[in-house]
Amino acid sequence: MVSLNAVLLVSFLLFSIGIIGVLIRRNALVILMCVELMLNAANLNFIAFARHSGSASGQAFALLVMGFAAAEVAVGLALVVALYRKRDTVQVDDINLLKG
Amino acid sequence: MTGFAQGLLSALLRDAHLMAPQLFLMTVATLMLWPGDLFFNRNEKHKWAPITLVILAITAVLVTRVPDGEGFSRMFRMDGLTRGFQMLCLLGAAGTVALSVRLLDSLKQQTVEYYALILFSLAGMLFLCGASDLISVYFSIELMAICIYILVAYLRDRATSVEAGMKYFLLGAFSSGILVYGISLIYGAAGGVTTNLADLNLALALTPTTSNLLVYTGVLMVLVGMAFKVAAVPFHMWSPDAYEGAPTPITAFMATAPKAAAMAAFLRVFGTGFHGVSSEWVLPLSYVAGASMILGNVAAVRQESMKRLLAYSSIAHVGYMLLGVLSGDPKAGAQAVWLYMLIYIVMNTGAFAVVIYLQGKGEGERIEDFKGLGRKHPVLAFAMMVFLLSLAGIPPLVGFFGKFYLFKLAIEQGFVTLTVIALLTSAVSAYYYLGVVKEMYFKEPEGEAAPMGAAQVFIVTLACALVLVGTAFGPWLLDWADKIFWV
Repeated sequence: MVSLNAVLLVSFLLFSIGIIGVLIRRNALVILMCVELMLNAANLNFIAFARHSGSASGQAFALLVMGFAAAEVAVGLALVVALYRKRDTVQVDDINLLKG
Repeated sequence: MTGFAQGLLSALLRDAHLMAPQLFLMTVATLMLWPGDLFFNRNEKHKWAPITLVILAITAVLVTRVPDGEGFSRMFRMDGLTRGFQMLCLLGAAGTVALSVRLLDSLKQQTVEYYALILFSLAGMLFLCGASDLISVYFSIELMAICIYILVAYLRDRATSVEAGMKYFLLGAFSSGILVYGISLIYGAAGGVTTNLADLNLALALTPTTSNLLVYTGVLMVLVGMAFKVAAVPFHMWSPDAYEGAPTPITAFMATAPKAAAMAAFLRVFGTGFHGVSSEWVLPLSYVAGASMILGNVAAVRQESMKRLLAYSSIAHVGYMLLGVLSGDPKAGAQAVWLYMLIYIVMNTGAFAVVIYLQGKGEGERIEDFKGLGRKHPVLAFAMMVFLLSLAGIPPLVGFFGKFYLFKLAIEQGFVTLTVIALLTSAVSAYYYLGVVKEMYFKEPEGEAAPMGAAQVFIVTLACALVLVGTAFGPWLLDWADKIFWV
């Protein structure tokens, strides 16, 4: 059996890749994928801890989080399409009409 | 299998009365989309606004009727705090709907989806107010936020609106990722058996020292995720852009109802769930609160757009409200925040009503557009002045009492430095609010006066009257809040 620490390490790596990706990639679609990585890292954690403690709740949470991630991606892709129609770009650096 | 289905159904029905308002909202909003939308043709869509207001009124009655209790595997809890903040969310939503009619009419953008999305998002907020489990906190936040992403990008033939929606979405999704990861760490630190806030409070206190790092990281990540949602510094970058690009009624919505729900979640998560490990989060949270007050108020000074000014001012107000979360006194803190939020919603909705009215004539976006308003529309300008001075917390207006109770509580709990920062930054805020008042009264007007829409007149008058009446009864407000929602 794989030890808990090994799984936690993998999930931490996934989460770090996700965060770094969001911060350095400039393509809205790639950023979306990186956010998915972050959510899946959390799912991995939930499942690992649930396995470790023998309670089922964490596995149910992972399923629910996947459902919400799907809903979020649906809205996100719709926004990307709307943006592409309007501005002909999906690079976040080009989204600069509003100055932050 | 049927046994399982029956068990599931009876488990759901047993506690269904606790979420009667949300179930009602979601059912009605779904029915509005279909078949409701078939009943009105393209030019009659504005009729959905009064219908939505009626739905909101019925929901408010339902909220007052729901008994106290806890249900759905202790995921949702109905008590005084829940009920009080649910009413605030309903108030904010009602203001938004009333403000939307004219603007959407003039843009020819009336659709049933707009109102249905507000209702769905409101259902998420009502869940969030009562969420008593980290997982249900996350789901409620998502339900609320996903609908608002769409509403921000609602004017999809305007580049600014889509852009604002995109920015809000990317940062919102990013912060959800951090929030969920934090929740998963806390779930592990508490032994992988519970995410219920009351249980967590006990479990986290008993964690072995080896998992201290898990607790610390988890709590910090939840703090970051939630600070994103209330737009507290340094996680506020999305908010001025989203506020500026969104349709103005949605800006008013974002500044009021979701903030109320998120503050309720803040109070419950940190007041109940992480109460035992408060040494882990009090310092970071007080930095966040102090930074929000300072940056929000200082950045507002140099804004030229009215919507951005109000965005930065709302960042600062969140900083003040976090004082109530920090206070560590669950009941008094919640009451002070509740009262502050109530006053803030009324003032802010009033101020946005004025902005939207001016926008109906193609101005109001910029602070310059308020030039000479005192001559053109004496009543409107007076109301705007009342809202702005009250937002600044100048005594004897009602905004002062909101601040007074919060600051008093913070001093009693020993947050003296933060309270001094809050007082100083309040003085800074008076500077930029008075700047707008100066534009209205000491500059010559340009252009002609035009008649106002009935809904706007109503909102402006009502909000102004509430602020003035609240002013007269300021010293007793907290006692009343105590009697109404915490019996």
